[in-house]
Amino acid sequence: MRVVLAEDLYLLREGLSRLLTAHGFDIVAAVETGPELLQALTGLRPDVAVVDVRLPPTQTDEGLQAALAARREVPGLPVLVLSQHVEQLYARELLADGTGGVGYLLKDRVFAADQFVDAVRRVAAGGTAMDPEVIAKLLTGTDRAQPLARLTPRERDVLELMAEGRSNAAIAQQLFLSESAVGKHIASIFGKLDLAPSDDDNRRVLAVLAYLNADSR
Amino acid sequence: MYQQCVGWLRSIRLDGMTQTWVGRHALAVVRGLALAALAVAEALAFLLHMAAFVPGFGLGLVFLLPWPILATRRVPNVARRLAGAWGGVDIPEPYRPAPPPPVPGPDGLYVRDRQLYKTPRIPAFAARLDWVLGDRATWRDLRWMLVDPVVGGAMAVAPAALVAAGLWYAVTGAPTNWWALPLGLLFALAGVAVAPALLWVHARWTRLMLRPLVHGPTAECRRRWMGERFIVLVRLLTLAVLTLLGVPIAALSVLGLVLTFGLGMAAVLPPIIEYFRWLANLRRRLARDWSGVAVSRPYLPRPDLPPLRSDGLYAVGKHLYKTPHWTAYHQRWRWLLHDRATWRDFGWQLTDPIVGGLLLLLPLGAIGYGIWGLALPRILMFVGLKPAGGDWYGSVAGSAAAAIPVGLAMAALGVVTAPAILRLHGRWTRILLAPTERSRLALRVQRLTETRADATEVQAAELRRIERDLHDGAQARLVAVGLTLGTIEHLLDRDPAAARALLAEARESSAKALSELRDLVRGIHPPVLAERGLGDAVRALALDTPLSTEVRVDLPGRLAAPVESAAYFAVSEVLTNAVKHARATRILIEVRFVEELLRIIVHDDGRGGADPGRGSGLRGLQRRLGTFDGTVAVKSPPGGPTTVTLELPCELSSPKTSTS
Repeated sequence: MRVVLAEDLYLLREGLSRLLTAHGFDIVAAVETGPELLQALTGLRPDVAVVDVRLPPTQTDEGLQAALAARREVPGLPVLVLSQHVEQLYARELLADGTGGVGYLLKDRVFAADQFVDAVRRVAAGGTAMDPEVIAKLLTGTDRAQPLARLTPRERDVLELMAEGRSNAAIAQQLFLSESAVGKHIASIFGKLDLAPSDDDNRRVLAVLAYLNADSR
Repeated sequence: MYQQCVGWLRSIRLDGMTQTWVGRHALAVVRGLALAALAVAEALAFLLHMAAFVPGFGLGLVFLLPWPILATRRVPNVARRLAGAWGGVDIPEPYRPAPPPPVPGPDGLYVRDRQLYKTPRIPAFAARLDWVLGDRATWRDLRWMLVDPVVGGAMAVAPAALVAAGLWYAVTGAPTNWWALPLGLLFALAGVAVAPALLWVHARWTRLMLRPLVHGPTAECRRRWMGERFIVLVRLLTLAVLTLLGVPIAALSVLGLVLTFGLGMAAVLPPIIEYFRWLANLRRRLARDWSGVAVSRPYLPRPDLPPLRSDGLYAVGKHLYKTPHWTAYHQRWRWLLHDRATWRDFGWQLTDPIVGGLLLLLPLGAIGYGIWGLALPRILMFVGLKPAGGDWYGSVAGSAAAAIPVGLAMAALGVVTAPAILRLHGRWTRILLAPTERSRLALRVQRLTETRADATEVQAAELRRIERDLHDGAQARLVAVGLTLGTIEHLLDRDPAAARALLAEARESSAKALSELRDLVRGIHPPVLAERGLGDAVRALALDTPLSTEVRVDLPGRLAAPVESAAYFAVSEVLTNAVKHARATRILIEVRFVEELLRIIVHDDGRGGADPGRGSGLRGLQRRLGTFDGTVAVKSPPGGPTTVTLELPCELSSPKTSTS
């Protein structure tokens, strides 16, 4: 799997590239700045890009902007954005086009290598990987608090994991449930939130994220 | 009794009578008489107000104030109802709802105006006072009680008076003049004829005076019209009265100077100077508010007591004093008499009655003499109410014919030039009352000293907090990680299972350290602010607020970094307050940059009652923004809504770079 990596700090760039190579990824480019990233993304068309939000030369959200620009040019180009901090604002911008193939994680998540690699693969396959912190903020700071209050605690757990982008199998494994039980919970959640059911994992996740993002703000 | 009264008045309908022309009109005459009686009640109510207001406002016996106002609200209410029942004009009650009873705080005490009370009695009374005196309807009622007995009363009693006068004339004049009978009856008939129309006019007049104030487009239009024609004249007149008031004050000042420098009674001058500064300050404010000429206060700041010298004395100038009392006395003398603004004030006091007074006299005199001196006497002569000739009123250069046109032209000229004169008057005020360069600098230095002290203190506290957080948080965790790694190294060969468990622990520790560092960074300088600037940082704040929050941003680019940071944390603090204390459900944030000024308005629909004097949060905010010459204005009436306006003068540091 061909990966473009964008990270300005040498130590982190080397660490990430070592980690990904160890898990069988092929690093086709490891860049330092926003313009280089945009060029690599549109020129090399990798299977997935792992991008730091803050990049030179401006040291602002150059990485995010380059990723968004590349996705405008190449719709659905899978991008996993890493950052030292997560903002709902950025998550919204990444999810705005509703096509999937995006991820937004704290850099800390790299520590759990297996889960991180799983997230990269998911994004590359057109799925999503949202940081639990983003999901927690989405769940608390929204106008949808009322319908969400109708969910049972277990259903809420399932919703959180689903919103992070996990597959049914992964949710089942994490919560020690059978896959069919997870399916039942999901059906119940969709019923309570008044969402149209879907068989496709990715589409279901996007529906949930769209639901959580769609408020008056 | 009141209800019965209204019921009875309403019942004067006599359905049979309303069928015929005579019946309807006779009924209107009677109703007019009832309204005239109401006018008498209004006059009495007004007198009752005055009887309470004179000791209430004059002697400070405020407990007298609410009662007459509330008790006599029945009178205007009767007028409103009768206008509805008899004039077909619906007038809703304009009064504000009564305030809720005071609620004790968690400590069982009642808070009111930064004061704690054991019983709810005084807070309840203060709230009642605010409610009654703060209601514009109260003052509109009072105005009505003053004017209506004359205007409305005359309208109401006119038909009955015409009928009575006509009949009386018909009866008494008939023996001498044959035409007295038909003429008198004609008058009486006219009275009956106009009665319903007058009743109709009376109802509309009542609505004009007593309806609730609404600021529709017509009201706006009328206010503007009034502003141009009328308010300017009222302001000129007020200024003229103030100028007259200035004359005895100027005389007193001269007396003070004579006593001080002539007779050596030095103690009289400082109080005179300090006390009468209110007049000059009032004129400065009026120059700003009415003439649009900004005149800030020029006085040097009052000095603090100088520090005690090593020999136990205080130094004021080149003199040394033993006691703080004498030091303060001489300091005050020095402070007042060495202030150039004091002498400029004197100069102004002496010249203003002449220059300012003459300026005011031009339009006021033109209008006054034009109407009352020329036009009106001439008109009265025409009508025959005043004998022609005899004095110089009503004629121009001996010619009577020109009096009316010249008089009206003079009045018109006065009205037209009034706004210009008002502006000119403001400029005149500025010449002597504006600050001198020296006092402006002194005031600036004082302000900078204060804000710099605040700034260094805030900064030091911030650094202490960061140090403590790092020391107890991330630093300690990294030490723990290091220790655990050492242990793992030791265990790796002997007990791999235990080493693996510790490895997980080390990883968790480092994750926690990262999370703590993240929080710390957010508190120092939020990454989103660095990356996106103020607009998006406020949007991100709003997203993290558990309330429905709308953000409107209009910024042409990035602001200077320190201002951005100060503004961000100020908004964050205000939002926290709104969520924690105001029990708000919706928040609106507006961020705008206009003419070198960043203005942020945070509006919430919570329960209000935020007081910058009480909570340390808002005061801290004021202090922190003060470093940037920024201001915080809080408008938070009890019951809400709350509007906090933050203003920071600043410059744009770069054109817009953010894409959103």
